Amino acid sequence: MKPILHTENLSIAFGGLKAVDAISMSATPHEITTVIGPNGAGKTTLFNLISGALKPGSGKVYLDGKDVTRFGPAQLQHAGLARSFQITNLFFEMTVRENLRLASQILEPISHAVRPLRRTGRAARKVDELIERFDFHDKVHEQVGYLSHGEQRRLEIAMCLACEPKLLMLDEPTQGMSHADTDETEELIKSLTQNVSILLIEHDIGIVMSVSDHVIVMHQGQKIADGTPAEVRANPAVQAAYFGHG
Amino acid sequence: MESYLHYVLAPQMLNGLALGISVILVALGLTIIFGLLDVINMSHGEFYAIGAFGALALSLSGMNYWVLIALVPLLMIPLGIITERYLIRRVYDGADRHVTTLLVTFGLGLILEDILKILFGPNTHRPANPLPGATDLFGIVIPTYRLFLIAIGAVVILAVTFVVYRTRLGAIVRAASFDRNMAASLGVRVGWVYSGAFAFGVTLAGLAGVLLAPVYSVFPTMGRDFILLAFTVVIVGGLGSIWGAVIAGIFLTQVQAISSLVISPVWADPIVFGVMVLVLMFRPQGLFGRMGHA
Amino acid sequence: MRDRLDISMRANHVFFAVLMGIGLICVALAVAMNDTFYLRLGTEALILGGLALSVDILLGFGGLLSLGQALYFGIGAYVSALVLREVPSFWLAMAAATGVTLLAGIIGGLIANRVRGVYFALITFGMAQVVAKVVYNTRELGASDGLIGVPVLEIPLGVITVSAGDPLAFFLLTLSVLTILYAAVAYLFTTPFGRVVIALKANEKRVPFLGYNTWGPRMVCYVVAALVAGITGALYPMLRGFVSPELMFFASSGNAVIMVVLGGVGTLIGALYGAVLLTFLKSVVGSYTEHHLIAIGVIFIFAILFMPKGIIGVAKPSLERRLIRFDEQTDAARIKATGERA
Repeated sequence: MKPILHTENLSIAFGGLKAVDAISMSATPHEITTVIGPNGAGKTTLFNLISGALKPGSGKVYLDGKDVTRFGPAQLQHAGLARSFQITNLFFEMTVRENLRLASQILEPISHAVRPLRRTGRAARKVDELIERFDFHDKVHEQVGYLSHGEQRRLEIAMCLACEPKLLMLDEPTQGMSHADTDETEELIKSLTQNVSILLIEHDIGIVMSVSDHVIVMHQGQKIADGTPAEVRANPAVQAAYFGHG
Repeated sequence: MESYLHYVLAPQMLNGLALGISVILVALGLTIIFGLLDVINMSHGEFYAIGAFGALALSLSGMNYWVLIALVPLLMIPLGIITERYLIRRVYDGADRHVTTLLVTFGLGLILEDILKILFGPNTHRPANPLPGATDLFGIVIPTYRLFLIAIGAVVILAVTFVVYRTRLGAIVRAASFDRNMAASLGVRVGWVYSGAFAFGVTLAGLAGVLLAPVYSVFPTMGRDFILLAFTVVIVGGLGSIWGAVIAGIFLTQVQAISSLVISPVWADPIVFGVMVLVLMFRPQGLFGRMGHA
Repeated sequence: MRDRLDISMRANHVFFAVLMGIGLICVALAVAMNDTFYLRLGTEALILGGLALSVDILLGFGGLLSLGQALYFGIGAYVSALVLREVPSFWLAMAAATGVTLLAGIIGGLIANRVRGVYFALITFGMAQVVAKVVYNTRELGASDGLIGVPVLEIPLGVITVSAGDPLAFFLLTLSVLTILYAAVAYLFTTPFGRVVIALKANEKRVPFLGYNTWGPRMVCYVVAALVAGITGALYPMLRGFVSPELMFFASSGNAVIMVVLGGVGTLIGALYGAVLLTFLKSVVGSYTEHHLIAIGVIFIFAILFMPKGIIGVAKPSLERRLIRFDEQTDAARIKATGERA
C-alpha cells in the first residue's frame, strides 16, 4: 500500500551533534507506526522535522506522496497532518469547549472568520462529536488549566483530531498518566485507526507492543531497526541499544 | 578642503563624540539592567536627571565639583536598591514580567519627574563649568570640559566592562542572571545580586547626570529627552550588550553630528530613529547579542 | 451555558451599559446646571478613551504593548484638521482620517509585526517618535505650533444637523462614535478570527499547529487598533479647534497605557473607564496643583501592584458568576418547558 508518510534521508545537526541522521521511514495508512528509542535518540526531533517545527538540514518529507519538506506547521496542517506535544501544549486559560472550538473552526471557510461563532455548522458539530467521543461532558466549561493531567493529555489528542487529519502524530500521549488512564488511552488510540493513520512516540514498551503495527527504533539519531513489534523485539541491535550499554 | 576638515568637520565630530560618550554612559545603565535583570527601566532618564540635580544642589551648597563626581553616584545606590526591592521585585515574577516591570518603572518616572519639579521648579539651570575655556588639539579647538568628558567617559566604560566581564563579581552576577536557581543553589544571594545590579545601573545614570550637567542644561524633563537617544543606542547595539551600546552610541551620534552639517539639525533625530527602526526590522536583537546569555 | 469568553464579553457589555447610564445622568445634570466645561471635558475623555481602547486591542487581546499608539491618534487628528481647514465637512474629514490611518496602520504593522515583546514596545515607541519629530519640524504642518483655526463644524446627520460648537450635541455624537467603535471591536473578538487572536496571545507556538497563520490575525489586529485610534483622533480638532504635535508624543501614548491599566487590560470597556477617571482626575487635581503627575504615577503604580486587572477586574468575576447563574437558570427553564411539551 502507498505510504501516508515517508521520509528520505531526513537529517539535522545541532552544532556537531547529528540529532537526526539520515532517517528514511514510512507510515502505512490506517496503521499505527511507533517510533521508539532510548532517551536522546532523536525521536522528538524527528517529529519536529516532520511536523514543520524544525526545518531539516537535508532530506525529504512526503505526505500522501506530496513533497512537504519545506512546509511550515500551518501548511502541513492544511495538508492533513496534526500533532500533539510531549509537554501538554494547550490554551490553559480557555475552557475545554473553547479549546476544541478553536481547533475545529479550521474546518470552516475563511469567509466565516468574521461572522459570529455559530452554534451549528461543521465546526460546532465537530466540537459536539469530540466532546462525546472523548467524554468531556462534565468538563465542557472547565478551564483547561484545572483539568487533571490525564484529561489534558486526552484533550490534546482531541484537539489534533478536530481538523480531521490524515496523519496524526502523537508524542508520548501517555506520558505521566496513571495506569487506568494509560489503558484507556491505549484503547482510544487503537480505535482511532479507522479514520486516521498514526505515528506515535511511546516509552511504555507494553503499549508499543500491543498497539503498534510497525515499529521504528532510533538510537543516537539513526534508525537501527524497523519491522513488526515481534521482529523488533528479537533484533539484537535493538537489545544492545536498550540494554547493552554496560 | 583642509580648512573644512579642521574648522568644521573635526570639531563637529569631536562634539559628536562627547555627546556619544554621554549617551553611552546613560545607555550602559539601561543595557546592564536589561541584560542582567531582564527589565526595561523606563525611569532611567529620571535617575539621570536626579544625578544632574544632585550635583547642582550640592554644588550650590559649596561642594567641590570633583568631589561630587564621586559622591553623587554613591548617593544613587540606596535609591536603586529601594526601587528594586520595593517596586520591581514585587512584579518580577508575574505573568508578563517585561510589560509589568516596564509599566512600574514608567510610573516611577512620572513621580520622580514631578518631585524634581517640586524641589527645583520647572526652569532650566546651568551649573558652573569646572573646566572653562577651550583646548587646542592639533589645531582643532574644543571646549576643555568636553575633552575631559570624553576621557573620563572612556575610563568609566572600560572600568564597567572590566567589572562585568573580567571580575569574579561580574561572573557571579552574570551567572545569577543566566540561571537564577542554579546560582542560588551554588550559594549566590540572588536577591542581593539583583538589587546590586539595578543599583549599579542607576549609579551609572547618576554619574552620567553629574558629568553632563555642566555641558547640557539641567531641567526636570531632561531625562525624557535624553533617554530617547539612550534607548535608541541600546536597541541598535542590542539590548544587554555593553560593547553593542558603545559602538552604537558612537556610530549614531556621529551620524547625527555629520548629518546635521549637511541637512538641518532638526532632521538629525528622525534619521537616528530611522536607523533604530531599520535595525529593529531586520535584526531585532540588535547588532550584538546580550551579555547574560551569550 | 456559553463559553467563558462570551460570558466575559457580556460582562464587558454590562459595564458599558453602566458607564453609559452614569454618563447620561451626568450629562442631564450638566445640562440642568448650564455647564459646558464638564461636558467638553467628558467629550475629551471619550476621545482619549478611543485611543486607550486602541491600546487595549493590542495589549489586552493581541498581547502586544504599544508605546506609540498616539501616532495613529495624531495622524487621524492632523488629517482631520487639514481637511477641515479646506473643506468643513465632517464626513469628508472622517473618511480621509480613516483612509490615511488605514494606510499608516498597514505600513506600521508591516514594521512592528516583525518583532514581539519588549521589542514591539520599543519599535512602536520609536516609530511614533520619528513621525512626531517629523511633524514637529515640518512647517507645512504647523511645526511646533500645530494647526490652528479649525472651523466650528456643522455636522449633517441625515435628519438633523449638529454643531460641533454645541457641547451637548458634540458630546452625544462622540459618545455614538465610541459606542459604534466599541461594539465593532467587541464583535470582532467574538468571531472565529477573534478567537485566533486571543489564542495567539495565550500560546503563540501552538497556533500554527492548529493550521492558523499567525502573521495575518496579528496584522489585522494591529490595523484595527490603528483605525480606532485614528477615527477618534479625527474628532479631536472638531472639539478643540486645533491640533499640535504633542498629540503624538510619548506622553499621549503613555497616558493611554495608564488609562488601560487603570481601567482593566483586556476588557475593552476598561479603557473608557480609565480614560474618564484619568481625565477628570487630571482636571480636579490640576485645579489645585500643577503637580498632578505624582498623583497619577502613584495611582498607576498602586493599580499595577494591587489591582493588576484594573477597576473592571475588581467587579468582573462576581458579575460573570451572576451571568453564568442566569444562563443556567434560563437554560433549565427552557429544558423544562420543551420537556413538558415533548
